[in-house]
Amino acid sequence: MTEYFLAKYNFWIYVVLMMIGLYAMMGKRNLVKKLIGMNIFQTSIILLFVSAGVKKGGATVPILRHSDYGSVHAEHLIRVADYLNPLPHVLMLTAIVVSIATTGVALATLILIYKRYNTLEEDEIMAIRKDIRSYKTPRILRSKD
Amino acid sequence: MRKWFKPISLATVILTGMLLIYGTHDMPSWGDPNSPANRHISPRYITEATRKTATPNIVSAVLGDYRSYDTLGESAVIFTASISCLFLLRRIRRQRNHDD
Amino acid sequence: MIWQLDIVLLIFIVICAIAAINIKDLMGAVIILGAYSFFMCLLWTEMGAVDVAFTEAAVGAGISTVLFIAAVNKTARRSKD
Repeated sequence: MTEYFLAKYNFWIYVVLMMIGLYAMMGKRNLVKKLIGMNIFQTSIILLFVSAGVKKGGATVPILRHSDYGSVHAEHLIRVADYLNPLPHVLMLTAIVVSIATTGVALATLILIYKRYNTLEEDEIMAIRKDIRSYKTPRILRSKD
Repeated sequence: MRKWFKPISLATVILTGMLLIYGTHDMPSWGDPNSPANRHISPRYITEATRKTATPNIVSAVLGDYRSYDTLGESAVIFTASISCLFLLRRIRRQRNHDD
Repeated sequence: MIWQLDIVLLIFIVICAIAAINIKDLMGAVIILGAYSFFMCLLWTEMGAVDVAFTEAAVGAGISTVLFIAAVNKTARRSKD
């Protein structure tokens, strides 16, 4: 039982992080909060993929040691168990950069939404849109005069 | 409807989390050197990357040499994002009158 | 790979995530998100993914926080939930 717990607790904590992000995206009304939740979701997925490359038992970072670098061209082969799996690291580098691009475009859209509706709460935006659709004066204009 | 929105979303999130935790039962244990992800293609990268690309950092070798088209696509994504930010945040210029 | 350090960092990350969701002041939430990114960077260094760690420290904790702070400065700072 303890072995099962030690083998799996990391995955459970990743799932908890993903649940926090998903709840922020679904349950919170503020749009900045939704974006923060999306960031947490993305980092939890990236964390899961990076953890797929971990090797227990003396593996180090995927940069060749000096001794191994000297014997690259010789017949002596590099031991695979000495180094971590580099492939998830490469793919997740791309994913981090794509996530920052997504965040940037979303924040630009957020500024435009604030300029138009003067609020960032989702329910207030929905109420204003409902007023506009039924040809009433929107609430923000009504409260001012 | 509005009142029930948060409990429904919380229930959905907890259901999803329970399904995913049930799904971890079949995954290889954390840090297993013999898991499928560690056996398939990464041994080739580790043993051959430095000989073929003369770079001791294997991540840089794979990122810039084996998968350089991937990196090219990533920079295309950043370019598209920055261009769209530029167009979204551009101040809309009023059209000038021609009579002055 | 030290599992005590691993579990302490994971607990800090979960606390930071919950705090970033629940704070009503958006500027505080954004700064806690930056702290979350730095903890994530420490966790990746501890896992051995150094390239991912410094990309996250530069991009996730640096540029992302700056963009968020700029956007919060241009829009409302208070949130209702």
